[in-house]
Amino acid sequence: MADGPATFTTLITAFTTFLTVAIHTILYERSIYPRTSFLSARKYNHAVRQSRHPKVCQWIADAVAAVESELLKGTVGRVAVVIFDQSEKPLERFMFDCSRLPVVPAGEWDTPLVRESKNGERTDILPLVDLEEQLRAAMAKLTVCGTLLRPVPENCSFTVAIELKDEGDAPIGHPQPWVPVSPGLQKSVHKDAESRGRTGEDVGGVRTTPLRNVEAGEMMFEMWIEEGKTKMRGPEKNGNVVKLGEGWRSSASS
Amino acid sequence: MGSRLEAKSTAVRKRIEGHEFNNEDGDEYEPSKFGGFPEYFRRKKIKLQNLDAELRSKSGENPPVFRGVVAHVNGYTQPSLNDLHALIVGHGGGFIQYLDGKTMVTHIIASNLTPKKAVEFRRYRLVKPAWVVDSVAAGKLLPWDNYRVLNEGVGQRVLGFDNGQVISQVDRRVKGYHEQTETSWYTNQLYQRESSEAVSAQPSSSTMQVLTPDMDDETFNDLPSLDSFETPAKPSEGEARQGSPNSHYSEDDHALDPAPATVLTSPPSRSAPVDVDANPKRLMRENIELTEVIGAPHGLKRARSSPSTSPNKRGKWIVPGPQKDQGTASLEQNTKLRPREGSQEPDYEMAIVKNSEALRAVSPSRLAKMTAEEHNALLLTDPRIRKSTVVNPDFLEQYYRESRLHHLSTWKADLKSQLQALTAEKSSSQRARQKRVPGARRYILHVDFDCFFAAVSLKKYPQYKDKPAVVAHGGGSGSEIASCNYPAREFGVRNGMWMKRAQELCPDLKILPYDFPGYEEASRRFYDAILSTGGVVQSVSIDEALVDVSAACITAGGTDGVKRSEGSNYREQAMASEIAQQLRDQVLERTGCVVSVGIGGNILLAKIALRKAKPAGQYHLKPEEVLEVIGKLEVQDLPGVAYSIGGKLEEIGVKLVKDIRDFSREKLINTLGPKTGEKIWDYARGLDKTEVGEQGIRKSVSAEVNWGVRFEKHEQVEEFIASLCAELHKRLLKEGVKGGQLTMKIMRRAPDAPLDPPKHLGHGKCDTFNKSLILGVATNDSKTLMKEAMSLLKGFGFSPGELRGIGVQMTKLEPLKPGTVEGSQKRLQFKVGEPSKPATKHTVTEDPIQDDVQTPKKATRIRDIVEPSIPANLRNAESPSRKPLNMLGTQFILPTQVDPKVLAELPEDIRLKLARHIELRAPALPPGESEGQRRPVSNAQSLAITLPNYSQLDPNILNALPNDVRSEILAFYQTSPRKARAQSLLPQSPRKVRTIPLSKKPLTRKRGGGFFGRGRTAVRSSDNSTLTQSNFVARPALLRQSSHKSTIPDTDGEDHAKTEHGLSSEIDPEFLAALPEDIRYEVLADQRRERLKRTSGIDISLHQKPRARRAAKNAADSPTTERLFRLPPRPAKPTFTAKKLAELPELRQAVKVWYEEFSDEGPYEEDVVALVKYLMAVVVEERDLSKAVSVVKWMGWVIDGDGRADVGVREKWEQAIVKVKHGVQQAVRERGLGEVDLS
Repeated sequence: MADGPATFTTLITAFTTFLTVAIHTILYERSIYPRTSFLSARKYNHAVRQSRHPKVCQWIADAVAAVESELLKGTVGRVAVVIFDQSEKPLERFMFDCSRLPVVPAGEWDTPLVRESKNGERTDILPLVDLEEQLRAAMAKLTVCGTLLRPVPENCSFTVAIELKDEGDAPIGHPQPWVPVSPGLQKSVHKDAESRGRTGEDVGGVRTTPLRNVEAGEMMFEMWIEEGKTKMRGPEKNGNVVKLGEGWRSSASS
Repeated sequence: MGSRLEAKSTAVRKRIEGHEFNNEDGDEYEPSKFGGFPEYFRRKKIKLQNLDAELRSKSGENPPVFRGVVAHVNGYTQPSLNDLHALIVGHGGGFIQYLDGKTMVTHIIASNLTPKKAVEFRRYRLVKPAWVVDSVAAGKLLPWDNYRVLNEGVGQRVLGFDNGQVISQVDRRVKGYHEQTETSWYTNQLYQRESSEAVSAQPSSSTMQVLTPDMDDETFNDLPSLDSFETPAKPSEGEARQGSPNSHYSEDDHALDPAPATVLTSPPSRSAPVDVDANPKRLMRENIELTEVIGAPHGLKRARSSPSTSPNKRGKWIVPGPQKDQGTASLEQNTKLRPREGSQEPDYEMAIVKNSEALRAVSPSRLAKMTAEEHNALLLTDPRIRKSTVVNPDFLEQYYRESRLHHLSTWKADLKSQLQALTAEKSSSQRARQKRVPGARRYILHVDFDCFFAAVSLKKYPQYKDKPAVVAHGGGSGSEIASCNYPAREFGVRNGMWMKRAQELCPDLKILPYDFPGYEEASRRFYDAILSTGGVVQSVSIDEALVDVSAACITAGGTDGVKRSEGSNYREQAMASEIAQQLRDQVLERTGCVVSVGIGGNILLAKIALRKAKPAGQYHLKPEEVLEVIGKLEVQDLPGVAYSIGGKLEEIGVKLVKDIRDFSREKLINTLGPKTGEKIWDYARGLDKTEVGEQGIRKSVSAEVNWGVRFEKHEQVEEFIASLCAELHKRLLKEGVKGGQLTMKIMRRAPDAPLDPPKHLGHGKCDTFNKSLILGVATNDSKTLMKEAMSLLKGFGFSPGELRGIGVQMTKLEPLKPGTVEGSQKRLQFKVGEPSKPATKHTVTEDPIQDDVQTPKKATRIRDIVEPSIPANLRNAESPSRKPLNMLGTQFILPTQVDPKVLAELPEDIRLKLARHIELRAPALPPGESEGQRRPVSNAQSLAITLPNYSQLDPNILNALPNDVRSEILAFYQTSPRKARAQSLLPQSPRKVRTIPLSKKPLTRKRGGGFFGRGRTAVRSSDNSTLTQSNFVARPALLRQSSHKSTIPDTDGEDHAKTEHGLSSEIDPEFLAALPEDIRYEVLADQRRERLKRTSGIDISLHQKPRARRAAKNAADSPTTERLFRLPPRPAKPTFTAKKLAELPELRQAVKVWYEEFSDEGPYEEDVVALVKYLMAVVVEERDLSKAVSVVKWMGWVIDGDGRADVGVREKWEQAIVKVKHGVQQAVRERGLGEVDLS
């Protein structure tokens, strides 16, 4: 994070940096790729893992960049790292609910942010120390997720998905880094009363494992893990979900 | 080889190429002095080059095969050094006898090298002599790589091809002299002589070479334009090297010559045969008639010719021009030399060809023997055929006149430009389209004539209306059906079918001629009708178009197109149908033909609907039935999907469109490639993102002809390519572009294809070759194009008779500039002129000026002076974009003191621009904002800053300025003398200036001093005042005052004067400037604090100094950081109990206290409910699932951990915990999540 006043861009960058680290960690913890293919590294003063396969790294970097551009638009409700089994059924979803991040119009991305509480007092936007502490805690939680969850079968693949806020437009257009996710993970767009009912069967999963709610200044997001019915063999449940995918994306599975 | 190494050889090459030899008077022919060996040697080399120059001038007719090559021969070679030298120099190469340095030459020729030299030369192009001989024989420079002397190490495996399979093999090349002795040139010669039982007199190559020039000269008296000719000496060499001339034959005309035709087995002759036999072959290949030169050997041959060839043939062939006559005759002679066996009868289907007299005159067996050129020549003797082939000078014109496809495509292009012009006129409707709300429903009509050609043609023949009728070029069996009416379709006749087949299907088929004027007329009316619908129109072809009528329909529906309301859908659909119906009626009325209309939500759906609409109907594919209808289609029914894609899809088990939906997008992309895969995936779901009216930019322009291409000789090819390039040039001009890449497409008759394809003069089965060339500079000059096209064609080395289609295409198009010089200047002006429109800029949301912040400090200093008006502008503007900063255009910051001489020397336009800059400062500020009163002040300041004092104003400058500017400046000096005075002080206190905009900032009230509310968000409050800068405090009072009083300018002015006095008295600006930056800021910050103390009586020393410094630094780093984006306050977090607990430790503590408090009587119901309510709020509102779960777990742990409680109480607590858990789970469900593990 650059010093200087915190802008929306620095805020989002801080989030996506964390997301990148988190994805690498998830890949390691869930053994999507051989554990030997990961390097030990340090981030947020915490030991993390990083894949050393250049294509995996590239993929993650691309995906996170795509997430970042959507985040900047302020339309993203949640970011999900989805783990699929071989038949592309979602097993686990690592959710990052970033709907509480501020929404800033495009012209103001690089403008320093100010938030005043009701009594006119200014609050810190990105308290660096605090943020690092929070993210470290989140990372620590994430690294123990392997013990909380049942192991996933072999040959799983993963993808990065975003779930849009209800008012958000789907990120279509050219170039198109995003594709709609499978119907099972779709949330219906209707905001009517019965909207809860018409949601994809795999949304929400069967079991939720809360990870952490990160709160540091404007950096507010919640993390939890959902385990799908395919993994749990149980009943089902919801979102307007869009997942990343390009031709070579599927090659990211091992 | 690096470019550095290349450099030297290039220099040597240039020197050699530039070497001229006039006479022996040069200084190199002077006698050498005693001891002057270096001089002697230098002269010797010059003399050698003289020799080469002479040799080169004599062999000017040889193709310059070795242009760009500088060679050196090392050691013993076969052929000898002498021969190689003559060959290389004679074919345009350079030759170095004495190798002064390895980099002097491009190629070193050697048969074998000593081990030391092999190491020394390892990194250079070491080539075997065969490369020279083969290159000459092939008429082009062969890749030297195949003739390496040294290969890359012994163990290197190389890729080889074995029966079409790539294999890796050990490179086993025979080394040493053995190879040379076995396969050498001389040995070959020896073998040949033995086999041909030739007379012992072996013609030495040197004697042949001596003969060369003369023969060539004579030859080229007749055929001056041919450059790719070959000396008679070469063939013999090439042939000798290759061992058997047979290979030549098979290369040249294998299709015709199935049997091994060894020249040398022909009746014994003297040494001449080698010469002669080789020649004709080459001649045929180059399509040259060469009778005169080899007249004598010919005589011999004719005498020897077998009686089976009829001598009267010559007389019978009517070949225009005596030259051709001779040529054909000579070629005819050549064919006689070949054995005739195993001929295959060409498939002559075309009546014209078959009936051609010329062909009939020749026996079929002979036909089979002829080379392509002979065949063509024969064919062309028929004047009718000749007229319709490329040999006809008017061919291209005629071709494009009669080609239906060409007609259609040009028509479409014209139509497109017409449509573009029309839409430009109706720009309002176009704009409406752009404004279309995303997600809005759309209505697209696909309008198509039913069998357009047939329908229009039938208007002239109404009697055939109900009978099967087709439109075709004629009744011949080989003409293609362009269009057939519905009665004909019932018989199974289809468009594109050949007449022969169609007539089999339907014997009484009526054949109608083309009626191009009629088509144009009908199409024009059709488009008139379509344009009158008012939608966005995209022409697909002359008889079909896409119309986007969403706007009209949605208006009819009465919503914004996104929302749905009762019946709006229905109304919209009804409207679309009505438009379609009207359109059909109109077209029927105007053209007398029926059209069908498909209506759908996008182009794909419209196209699919059209299929259901045909014939003569309309169909609306409604959104609810889209998936079902599309799903039932076969894959190949989708637009843009045919055999190839269909085949691939079938491989993965897709037959119907709905099957596609089972596949993930990735799978499709893997199967079909990224674009198609995605498209098909979308299509399967009825999605199509293409917009009506979206028209791709033209990427290429080409001219191609593949019908009637029959050449006899090279000149014809050249002529034809010239006219083709002229056509391309015309088209490029029409598109207003020039191209940077030229692609040549050549269709050559496939080796196994008959000489006459089934379609009359068509291309038949062909091998297609493409070659492109990047032109250094984009061009559309037909001469350049032709030159390049010819060289590309020559690169292929095809014989003209084998050519069946030629196309030239330009890609990498660049638009032609309208007026070359003017255009570029205009652009410059645009850039400069830009700042003069600041008003429009405010709407720009992006902030590209970001970089400006990074400008070096020097510039900032200048801008500090100029700046003050800008933040005022900023505040004025609705969006506080920093854009207006650039108004000054960094490179156009006017110095405060304009040197009149400089100004006078400037060109008129620049002077005006400078003037404009002065001008724009004044009126730049948009009026009508809340703090309007402040504006005059800042205005005045800005002017005052950029303008010198009145006393310093040079009248010359004033005179040089445009009138209005002058009057404005003068007016300024008149109206605000006081400001002018004030400004002289301003540059001394840049800091002061900067505080002005800051002061206007809506302020944080410092009442709380930053200590308020720390209790709740302890984390955040710790340094929550980072952004509160000391200077924020300064002027709230003043600001509020300013909005009430109208006298602010005065107050402000006084304020200025006061503070500035204080400042200037304290700090010398020069001293300030000399200070290091950080110190300066510190000094200035101190200053400001002082000043603030003075002006508003607020003591800032309360604030920590470092913070102030940081703030000051921020302000200094980016002069506009004071612009802030204010986020709305966060909604308060849900809290627990009256103590407003929110943090986990507090909550835990509370739970623990609660339990301990009630451990003997169980919890109260309302407490449990309160906790449940709170935790649900935490999950749903605060979205901190983990906190809720932690609290629940904590509660369970607290209860479990206490062993003292009696059973009844414990049960109550456990019930409570179940309730709490239930509540949390319910909240989790409410958020759409799966169950949480709470145990």
